[in-house]
Amino acid sequence: MIRRWGPWIALGLVVVVALAVVLWPNGSQSPAARAHELETEFKCPECEGLSVADSQAPTSRAIRADIKRRIKAGQSDAEIRQAYVDTYGESILLTPQDSGVSLLVWILPIVVLAMGATGIVFVLRRNREQPHLHATEADERLVHREQGDG
Amino acid sequence: MKHPARIAALAVALVVVVFGVVLALNVGTDPQEDAQQSHLVGKAAPAFDLPNLAGGRLTLADVAGKSAIVNFWNSWCTPCRQEEPALQEFYAAHKDDPDFVMIGIVRQDETGDVKAYVKENGIQWKVALDPGSVAALDFGTRGQPETYAISPSGVVAAAKYGPMSSKELELFLAAARQTA
Amino acid sequence: MKAALGYAAVAFGAGAAVVGITALLAGLQLRDAFLLRFGRRCVYAVLIAAIAAAGVMEWALISHDFSLRYVAENNASGTPLLYTITGLWAALEGSILLWSVILGGYLTFVAFKFRKRDQDPLVAVAIITGLVVALFFSALMLGPANPFRELSTVPFDGRGPNPLLQNHVLMAFHPPILYLGYVGFTVPFMFGIAALVTGRFGEGWLSDTRRATLVAWGFLTVGIILGAWWSYEVLGWGGFWAWDPVENASLLPWLTATAFIHSVIVQERRGMLRVWNLSLVIATFCLTILGTFLTRSGVIDSVHAFTQSDIGPWLLTFFGVVAATGIGLIAWRGDKLRAPGRIDSAVSRESAFLMNNLLFAALAFVVLLGTVFPLIAEALRGSRLSVGEPYFDRMATPIGLALLFLMAAAPALPWRATSGEVVRNRLLIPAWIGGLTMLAAVILGARGLAEILAYGLGAFATAGIVRQFVLGIRGRRRALGESRAVALGRATRSNPRLYGGLVVHFGVVLIAVVLAASSAYGANRDVTLTKGQSATVSGYTVTYLGSHTARSDQKITYSADIKVAKGDRVLGTYAPAISTYPNSTEGIGTPSVHTGLLDDVYLTLVSSPNAQREITLGVRINAVIVWLWIGGAFMALGTILALAPRLRRRPKSIPSDDLAPVPVPDREPDSPEPDAREEVPV
Repeated sequence: MIRRWGPWIALGLVVVVALAVVLWPNGSQSPAARAHELETEFKCPECEGLSVADSQAPTSRAIRADIKRRIKAGQSDAEIRQAYVDTYGESILLTPQDSGVSLLVWILPIVVLAMGATGIVFVLRRNREQPHLHATEADERLVHREQGDG
Repeated sequence: MKHPARIAALAVALVVVVFGVVLALNVGTDPQEDAQQSHLVGKAAPAFDLPNLAGGRLTLADVAGKSAIVNFWNSWCTPCRQEEPALQEFYAAHKDDPDFVMIGIVRQDETGDVKAYVKENGIQWKVALDPGSVAALDFGTRGQPETYAISPSGVVAAAKYGPMSSKELELFLAAARQTA
Repeated sequence: MKAALGYAAVAFGAGAAVVGITALLAGLQLRDAFLLRFGRRCVYAVLIAAIAAAGVMEWALISHDFSLRYVAENNASGTPLLYTITGLWAALEGSILLWSVILGGYLTFVAFKFRKRDQDPLVAVAIITGLVVALFFSALMLGPANPFRELSTVPFDGRGPNPLLQNHVLMAFHPPILYLGYVGFTVPFMFGIAALVTGRFGEGWLSDTRRATLVAWGFLTVGIILGAWWSYEVLGWGGFWAWDPVENASLLPWLTATAFIHSVIVQERRGMLRVWNLSLVIATFCLTILGTFLTRSGVIDSVHAFTQSDIGPWLLTFFGVVAATGIGLIAWRGDKLRAPGRIDSAVSRESAFLMNNLLFAALAFVVLLGTVFPLIAEALRGSRLSVGEPYFDRMATPIGLALLFLMAAAPALPWRATSGEVVRNRLLIPAWIGGLTMLAAVILGARGLAEILAYGLGAFATAGIVRQFVLGIRGRRRALGESRAVALGRATRSNPRLYGGLVVHFGVVLIAVVLAASSAYGANRDVTLTKGQSATVSGYTVTYLGSHTARSDQKITYSADIKVAKGDRVLGTYAPAISTYPNSTEGIGTPSVHTGLLDDVYLTLVSSPNAQREITLGVRINAVIVWLWIGGAFMALGTILALAPRLRRRPKSIPSDDLAPVPVPDREPDSPEPDAREEVPV
């Protein structure tokens, strides 16, 4: 049992360690990181589809400066978002909110994925009619001996 | 399940029909046009407090109680030059009207360039400087030129992004007067 | 005169299509051999007509004939020859012309390849379908999208192409290659419809069109990568993919086509998934039409500024007709297609391919939903909202990582069923390599979850790919005693689909790693410099040397010379620029990029000198971008390899005095021979 699973358990540990380091909460973001995060969420009002973080248009640069100003003034992310939605309307946010109609865009893909996964499970279950012939330990030992393995 | 393919096909058909109807409804529209509807129309105009090019300050209080036209521009914007004649004509027609006031707000520009532009085009109405784009963002501007009409009670009556014609300016003034 | 000629050519093509369709229909009804052959041959006329029309347009462009509205809008006397020629696809009407030419080409390929089988109803119905599509595009050009419309007053000079379409040589490659991909999917679609209509569901149509599908897929892949390259090198915002609706329109058929390429293997091996494959093929074609609609109708905001036109309703209607036909046929015939084969085990190659397809379909759904959702929200609520990069990234990343995992694990899974031990043995070393890579990344400072998962799974997949190559070579060496190099060559040539696919997968790994790394690292700053001044961003020093203006017939370009150095080492002088074209008020920025193996230094000129003679320079340091293009090259190479014909194995005699048992030659699990044995467990 250990022989079969040992190396895999060890690998699992390595992966868990790596994930733990990455997922460990390490305090709040720096202001610069917060600013960048918000910049990627706002659409540049005078461009067609670019975010404020990516666009070089004058309005984008003004918004970037304004975001930094607001962060410095102590406003929270939610407050900053709300301020811009109040002035520019909801279409300035590149990520749909998670309320109202916008919820659909988050939920529908998960629903579709779940339906598909269920379908596949269904198909697989239906096919479990044939018995599977598993090799027993005795069989394996026999084969190994014949193959001349030590 | 009998006829799974048929059921699945019908389900897909339903989804496709829904998508198709939504798309068909939108075929005639222009997303840019929709996007340009300012979100502020019908809401209170934002307060601003900016340096006046001629000295002193220019604030929202200076336009309160009158029908106001606020025009955002700057000296490096080509369509702004294009709308200058219309702005001049409009201002000349209404400047003696006690109920009327027009101001310009210049963002992201050098004071020297602004002064030169004002002189070159003979701009007689008050001009405020907004180098940090504070008022521009509070008004939800998308660029320049952008023009707002504000009613005497301080409500944004109309807004447009792009050069204005004389006719549009008249319509804006009428809208400001009609808005409660 | 040219307008009349061109329009006549288009009309002739439409007529030829009608004649062909009629002849084939009559031939099928009357079982008349002559009519069937004649109908097939009409395809050649359709191609000739399309080439003639395109030829007339090129002639008009090159001779700067501004009496044609299309030429006046997309060409000017000062436009350089290259961009005059590419003007053919610079705008809507011309690109429909290009579509017609390429479609004619693919149809001719089909008509020629099946010339000996033209009495077969399957072939006849396929050609009818293809001609109907060709007729639609001809009708577009005869109606709302007429490229040969004339102007009543001939202007003195044309407007010239959109400035963004005349400042980079990629304009000559990206659209045609993209179209070679898009249009190519008409071929499997034709045969899929024919299979449904004639009731001939066997594997015939699959193998008949396998090559064409792979060719189309390859072109679409390269087309999309070139689009990303263009976005990066030309548009100046420093990124290569913005989940823009037009980009998504090209991605959607790619996703379903990739799902198809994989599930087709299951159909070939086990005869399963037939209905699903037919659905995929029809969906892929529908998505190319839908994509064209989204791109050209102006319904959705996009960076690609196409002019609006009346073509929208036509495209939407055609999409509706095709979708209805496809869905109707499947609803009618689909249940008779149910295959005898069964999936034996959840841990098998078949179920891995099923998962692969589920994930690709889910991803396609996400992309489609996100692209169209602003319209849905408006219909439901009245006000628009935006769905942009943050949404797509958040939804696509887990699906992409899951696909990466499948890519790594699936090649080790045998067909039908296996014991867990076999799979565990095969995957142990590659999985360890993946896990250690994750740990190494974390030790070296990486902190993004998706990022380290991408590195780990990418290493896992690469190790699996290398393992397959090693096994293939080793098997040949044991059995046939070839040298490593010869073994590699012969192994690849004897199973090009497997090894080509592995090379493509390696390209995907590179791209996945770049996607993970480039968003985690990099810097972006605007610096204002006077002449001679320097600034440092992320270890790179940029110095403003000076600027100059260049004037040509086509444009006025203002560029700044910037010296880029890393520490003491000078990397070169680069010149980001802003160009103004005579008929446009906005300046178009051209970035200048120093490409390195680890970093790109991406320079844009944000503003020309102001009163204080300062320029503002945008400096972005983009990590590992060049590996995107290298990954794309691997994908292209892999596709070419996969298309190569199989080398027949020449039996080689084994020395007769060798008393050891004859070793089993290592047959890769993907060889399509029905009695293929599994790999000998290592």
